[in-house]
Amino acid sequence: MTVHHHPPDELLGAFAAGTIDLGQHVAIATHLVGCAKCRGAVRAMEHVGGAVLAALPPSAMSDGSFEALQRRLDEASETSAPVQRRGRAFSDVPGLPEFLGSYPDSSWRWIAPKVHLRPIRLPEPSATRVFLLKSSPGTRMIEHTHTGFEMTCVLSGSFVHAGGQFGPGDFDLGDGSVDHDIRIDSVDDCICLVAMQGDLKLNGVLGRLLQPLIRM
Amino acid sequence: MLNETPDNETSDAARWARLIEAVAIRRDREAFAALFRHFAPRIKTLMQRSGASEQLADELAQEALFLVWSKASLFDPKSAGAAAWIFTIARNLRIDALRRQKRIPASDTSETELEFQRDEGPLPDAGVATSQIEARVRDALSLLPDEQMRVVELSFFHETAHAEIARALDIPLGTVKSRLRLAMARLRNLLDDFS
Repeated sequence: MTVHHHPPDELLGAFAAGTIDLGQHVAIATHLVGCAKCRGAVRAMEHVGGAVLAALPPSAMSDGSFEALQRRLDEASETSAPVQRRGRAFSDVPGLPEFLGSYPDSSWRWIAPKVHLRPIRLPEPSATRVFLLKSSPGTRMIEHTHTGFEMTCVLSGSFVHAGGQFGPGDFDLGDGSVDHDIRIDSVDDCICLVAMQGDLKLNGVLGRLLQPLIRM
Repeated sequence: MLNETPDNETSDAARWARLIEAVAIRRDREAFAALFRHFAPRIKTLMQRSGASEQLADELAQEALFLVWSKASLFDPKSAGAAAWIFTIARNLRIDALRRQKRIPASDTSETELEFQRDEGPLPDAGVATSQIEARVRDALSLLPDEQMRVVELSFFHETAHAEIARALDIPLGTVKSRLRLAMARLRNLLDDFS
């Protein structure tokens, strides 16, 4: 898989720092599944985190904290295996990070001609909503702008807009300044994971009619 | 072995890695005590700067070192640096603590760990020793202008949203964003040689 479009560096940095909300985290983690280069960048940023941590000024630990901890060590069992994924949700959609397997599964629902949506319900309240979007070949997505931002990870198929062509593994970041006029140009369905804050603003009469249907 | 010059950062990183391995292989309490002395007070600082109370920060620092003890055998010096590994443990605990504060029930540490687990295919820098990456990161950081370094540092503390960084440093929000972008691009460039 050749990935051409990546998340901006500061977003990869915030992912490594653990300072983005879960919805955005899901989008970046999805990109990382298919992008070794960005996995390398995140790992480098974790090294930066380690360097920042190691150089922080120390704060004195409370009295007796080490002794209390020592007593706990006696009872500690050793963890010898990394945590394993649980659950098989979304396992029919290739390219998603494994931890989504434990989320509540959902099914595709029709939202517009040739467009289906499948919500990913996060286990915690998040300002960012996440869903899968499946569009048939030749679909023109209704022209829209955003009040917040929209991260799109292509899982299969491809689409084009003014910013170029986006295929499997590619990451597209849209914000209020982008007027999206998207066309699905693949032979098969195009499936994307979308993480979105704010609302879509659909342009045109049809858009305004569809607006209530597309609101999640 | 425990008395290498503290200002020699390269040997510090190698020493921490050896200490973690000593904990993993021999359940070495002295090695653990050395890790505790260096990292617990710094994790406490990280937690406090991320908005935790002094007491919570203390508890989280203890918990982080407890996890260093119980997960030591999972530390792979070939794929992670010691400080980076401990940082990820602290980061995951902090995310977890924030979830508990928001009373999100199903949250435990292993869930957060899963969320950061990456299906590591071959990494672009797979052939490069961790110590080289660590040295490279240190060099890259030392080459950053102070003003960019401050922003990078602050970006690692949760709840230090960009707006708060701007307030803390008394600079406009746009400047925070552009400095962060510059710093990240620069780090990326310096580190990209591995790919």
